[in-house]
Amino acid sequence: MTQHIIKHQPVFAMLEVQLAPNEVLVAEAGAMVARAAHIGMAVKLNAPANAGFFGKLKAMLIALIRKVFAGETFFVNHFSSPHGGWVWLAPALSGAIKHIVMQGNTMLFSAGSYLASSGDISMRPRFGGCRSILAKEGAFFLETSGVGELWVTSYGAIEEIHCNGSYIVDTGHIVGFDASLNFTIKAPGGGLMGLMASGEGLVCEFQGQGRILIQTRNVSALVQWLTPLLPG
Amino acid sequence: MKTNILYRSSQTIAQCWLEPGESLTAESGAMMGMSTNVAMTTQSGGIGKAISRMFAGESFFRNTFTAQGGQGEVLLTTPLCGDMVVLECGRTQWLVQNSAYVGSSYGVDVQSQGSLKGLFSGAGLFALATQGQGDCIVGSFGAIEPIHVTGEMVIDTGHLVAWESHLQYKVTKATVGWIDSWLSGEGLVCQFSGQGYVYVQSRSTSEYGAAIGALLPPRQS
Repeated sequence: MTQHIIKHQPVFAMLEVQLAPNEVLVAEAGAMVARAAHIGMAVKLNAPANAGFFGKLKAMLIALIRKVFAGETFFVNHFSSPHGGWVWLAPALSGAIKHIVMQGNTMLFSAGSYLASSGDISMRPRFGGCRSILAKEGAFFLETSGVGELWVTSYGAIEEIHCNGSYIVDTGHIVGFDASLNFTIKAPGGGLMGLMASGEGLVCEFQGQGRILIQTRNVSALVQWLTPLLPG
Repeated sequence: MKTNILYRSSQTIAQCWLEPGESLTAESGAMMGMSTNVAMTTQSGGIGKAISRMFAGESFFRNTFTAQGGQGEVLLTTPLCGDMVVLECGRTQWLVQNSAYVGSSYGVDVQSQGSLKGLFSGAGLFALATQGQGDCIVGSFGAIEPIHVTGEMVIDTGHLVAWESHLQYKVTKATVGWIDSWLSGEGLVCQFSGQGYVYVQSRSTSEYGAAIGALLPPRQS
């Protein structure tokens, strides 16, 4: 287990990681607050370890598109040192950080939820389905699997819900969920009217058994509130 | 001046108690409330100083609050959700990131360094230097965390609040190459060396702005 402390939950959470000698911490680009100067930092493409040439090319293309247009990246920074040492990380939005231990299971996370990982964790984008294109959130999920540790972040606090059978979550509030759950993205009331009139946007309906992590605030709602207040 | 920091770490205010006749200086717009026997005067501190403050991304004017005919209370706040700490100035002097300054007691002079190094290093790293004896109150975006530098430490310039002035520092690229620095998302970092404390904030206004700003409609001109 990686030695770490999460401080200032749940609004302004910051992660302090004490790396063991030669241990590697992978973190979302731009998340570093501080590090001991002897800890090396290398920019890497966040492609699956076993990806072939075309897999890497595809990841590179997605990475550049996202970097230029969405402000998010598919690049990650690798931190490590022969002597180990401290690294401080923080997400961009006001929110919490949750530590998740992965034991060979698979989880899906919303774009922007990923903060850092250690151990043998592989990540790849997963398309959320045709209807998800309508929603800003949920078009792509980050599929993570392997053995190791993950730190994910949110806008607002993080609540863990156990889905026993079925459960519905607004797509803008999803942080992540177990891959054991089946999901369909749809309009809450059914039909176009339900989508336009309810103000709920799209929802994600989960089926099965597993964890769902939800965030208590929604970035789209903030943007919707803020936009009319901006000078015209 | 006696200072209480209340409602840490996201909705912080500074409650300052002044002795009769004592005064404090505060950033323009920082006053949230005060007792009726406190008189406020606006000072520019001379046009040269005021202009150099403007370059530092600070306001042109500062206000001075003086307790008259008894003890007085002044409440100070910051525009963003965040934290505050009180820096003791005297034996140790501090460098304060321009936008972090909230207020200071009478005996403390807080002036922009005005160095070319600060002006051209980018990332808004134009620090204010404290002089004299007393307290300086600084505020942040996000929670404030002290980091004890022993040896060398690399800190993102967007997360800096204040640091002890005897620390050596230089602003550099996050990695060796410019392309890697851009892709790494870290931009410019500050490399500290020596022994002493650096206060960092757990959020960066520019990163928050980039994350939310990308989702807002384009500005109409």
